[in-house]
Amino acid sequence: MTTATKPLGRIRANGLSRFLINAVFVLLLLIIVWVLLNLIVNRQCDSSCFINLLAQSFRYATPIALAAFCGVMCERSGVVDIGIEGKMLMAAMVGYGVNLFLFQVLMTKMDPTVAGNLSRWIALVAAVLSAMLMQALHAVVSIKFKADQIISGTVINILALGITGYLYRQFLATNLPAGPGTFPIWNIPILSKIPILGDILFKHQPLTYIMLILVFVIQYILFFTPWGLRTRSVGEHPRAADTLGINVFHVRYVNVMIGGLIAGLAGAYYTLQGVDVFNPGMTAGAGFIGLAAMIFGKWNPFGALIGALIFGLGSSVGPVLSIYNPNIPSQLPQMLPYVLTIIVLTGVVGRAVPPAADGQPYEKQ
Amino acid sequence: MSNITSVTPSNVPAKADSGREKRQGRNPFRSMADAFAMPLLAIFTAFLIGALVIFFTSWITSHNIRDSLNTVIEAYLGLFRGAFTKERGFTESLVATVPYIFLSLGLAIGFKSGLFNIGVEGQFYIGAIAVAWAGALPALRSLPAIVFLPLIILVGALGGGLWAAIPGYLKARTGAHEVITTMMMNYIAFRLVEYLISFPLKDKGSSATQTLPVADGAQIWTLSMIPAKLRDPLDALMIALVFAFIAFVIARWLFDLPAMRNRIQNTGQKRLYTFGFAALIGVLIFIGLPALSRVWWPFTDQYDRMHIGLFLAFMAAVFVWWLLWKTTLGFELRTVGANTNAARYAGMNITRNIIVAMSLSGALAGVAGAVEVLAVSSCRCMQLFFSSGYGFDSIAIALLAKNNPFGIILASFLWGSMRNGADLMELNSGVSKYIISLIQGLVLLFVAAPAIVRWIYRIKAERRPEEEAPLTHGWGGG
Repeated sequence: MTTATKPLGRIRANGLSRFLINAVFVLLLLIIVWVLLNLIVNRQCDSSCFINLLAQSFRYATPIALAAFCGVMCERSGVVDIGIEGKMLMAAMVGYGVNLFLFQVLMTKMDPTVAGNLSRWIALVAAVLSAMLMQALHAVVSIKFKADQIISGTVINILALGITGYLYRQFLATNLPAGPGTFPIWNIPILSKIPILGDILFKHQPLTYIMLILVFVIQYILFFTPWGLRTRSVGEHPRAADTLGINVFHVRYVNVMIGGLIAGLAGAYYTLQGVDVFNPGMTAGAGFIGLAAMIFGKWNPFGALIGALIFGLGSSVGPVLSIYNPNIPSQLPQMLPYVLTIIVLTGVVGRAVPPAADGQPYEKQ
Repeated sequence: MSNITSVTPSNVPAKADSGREKRQGRNPFRSMADAFAMPLLAIFTAFLIGALVIFFTSWITSHNIRDSLNTVIEAYLGLFRGAFTKERGFTESLVATVPYIFLSLGLAIGFKSGLFNIGVEGQFYIGAIAVAWAGALPALRSLPAIVFLPLIILVGALGGGLWAAIPGYLKARTGAHEVITTMMMNYIAFRLVEYLISFPLKDKGSSATQTLPVADGAQIWTLSMIPAKLRDPLDALMIALVFAFIAFVIARWLFDLPAMRNRIQNTGQKRLYTFGFAALIGVLIFIGLPALSRVWWPFTDQYDRMHIGLFLAFMAAVFVWWLLWKTTLGFELRTVGANTNAARYAGMNITRNIIVAMSLSGALAGVAGAVEVLAVSSCRCMQLFFSSGYGFDSIAIALLAKNNPFGIILASFLWGSMRNGADLMELNSGVSKYIISLIQGLVLLFVAAPAIVRWIYRIKAERRPEEEAPLTHGWGGG
């Protein structure tokens, strides 16, 4: 394995140091944001407002970070996934529908609170499965049929728009019974009592915790297990990996499907955690922003999380602005995350090097 | 530029004008069948799967096979009636075809240059708002159509072009991948337009949130307006000039045909004949068309929204074909798209070509927005909730037509009729019109991965390699 590990050492060394650099960067950014915010809203945003803002940005960052993790898993194995948005939309719709109709069935048989809980978790599983189904299409088209992966991802996006729109209009638009609502907030027993951190980090709904746990899980899998090593080698130099006896197609399929699973979680956020409504097109580009967060994080889960947090912050500043300073038209702060995405992509934050075989179909010789 | 072919012969587009020799060896009917078979099979399969989806969703609620079959038939019949045989159905289909043609031409320029401009939707919006702003400017209000109309279409093109030039510049300079940047530019454009319509450009006199209606001279004519408009000699002159220009282009093309080229050698004579022909057509139109329209005019239905923008769209298709396959710029664009390294070795300016390709692509999208505001919108202005979705559909059109401008016209008409027929389908059969997006998504899937269609119908793979620009170059950021 020595030949395969050599070029990969660079990436591993990047992991922790990059994370520290990014953390410092984020701290600076936070200070700047607070100062600017207070200038704009005339010193009305006190510390509790700011803590709220940070907690809110963790909430908004959840789907973006999850989308970014999907991107990390796919692209580390050399498959570009531009269809995250479509999978999220699909998962959001399926999650909403299953949650709603399963609740009606379960309610007749058991206590409503238990039924609500059960249907929410089953809906989460269904959402994830639907996203994985879409992902299977992307995997087959881009790995087996070797189509252009950008086109294949766009197909997923457009197809998801059609499927969700159609099913929404057929079944979910009118005459809806009352649903069980979204996941409740879980206060983590001891940790949520910590003064500031507790309010920011440990008073969230389940998907945010899942996202925070996944950061560590993915970091561990990618950089500290044989599977991660195989994944990265397939993403950097599939031919070399193949020569060493790694089944390139198998590694890619599995990683892409895991990516689909995570994208399903990201989509489920919208209807099982965010709001109890489904609208066609409700993901509003979060999948693409997630990709930008992934690039910002240099294809590392920790970096991607920080990127997602910056976008989350960008999204949560808007409401605060319009509360304390109604003269600012709401559309302008709404543009902020999108502008941030473009700025990130232009490489202001530093040079990002994608996995070398990213986006190239592998032809076995 | 002849040394390009020696660098990497397999991955460089055919040089402008040299395709003629290459094509001679192949049976033209065979290549026609090749070009049409796969798209037609893709469309057919997509409709088949669409029918299955309608059948099953109907079966879930009714549990009756006969009823579900009826729903499928009702839906597709309704689609057909709405698109063609209903009153004004056919012309409305053409109205919906126009933006599709412009937008997918824009996408085709991008694809040929190796750029995936998902942002045509945003550029469409920016073109529309630019036109809505410029068309309602008090200073320009009294301009005659002969000046105003070309000017305002130029404004739309500039709006879309500049909006697209930003991601183009970022791609060329920093490598930021255009798929994400243009997508983000879409969302920024939606918010920006929403803001502009709600505040600075809002028509204060109107209860609806919309911009001021554009001036008379800036409106694109519907067919029923033409006789009244042509009474003004200036407007008649404008039409005559357009036709003279077309005659000029046709004459130039005729004199380039081998038979004519041998007969008339003298350049001065050739020029005389070309200009003479153009002038003759111009004068004929200038005198004849107003007279004719007064005596006999077939399009009298004033509720028919069919407009002369369709004509513009055809001209744009010819223009794009000429630009891509008959000019040096088009050759450079295609070379950059097919093989950036070969283009660089040949001394082509990659940065400039990427920015030009994106701007042209955006300019066409901007013109689509302009036409939508100037000819289709009922208030001749831009409203909040200016619904579109044209941009995303156009991706499938451009890919289905393999970026061929004339194929794009056909595919756009198919998409336009589906979009137009969907309403009647929903009304008749209760099947949501989103089924159209589903079918279109499936068409895109089968076009993107032709292997699936080949696998379903057991067709052998085509042997000849195609000139194709790869899009996945990895992400930017460095």
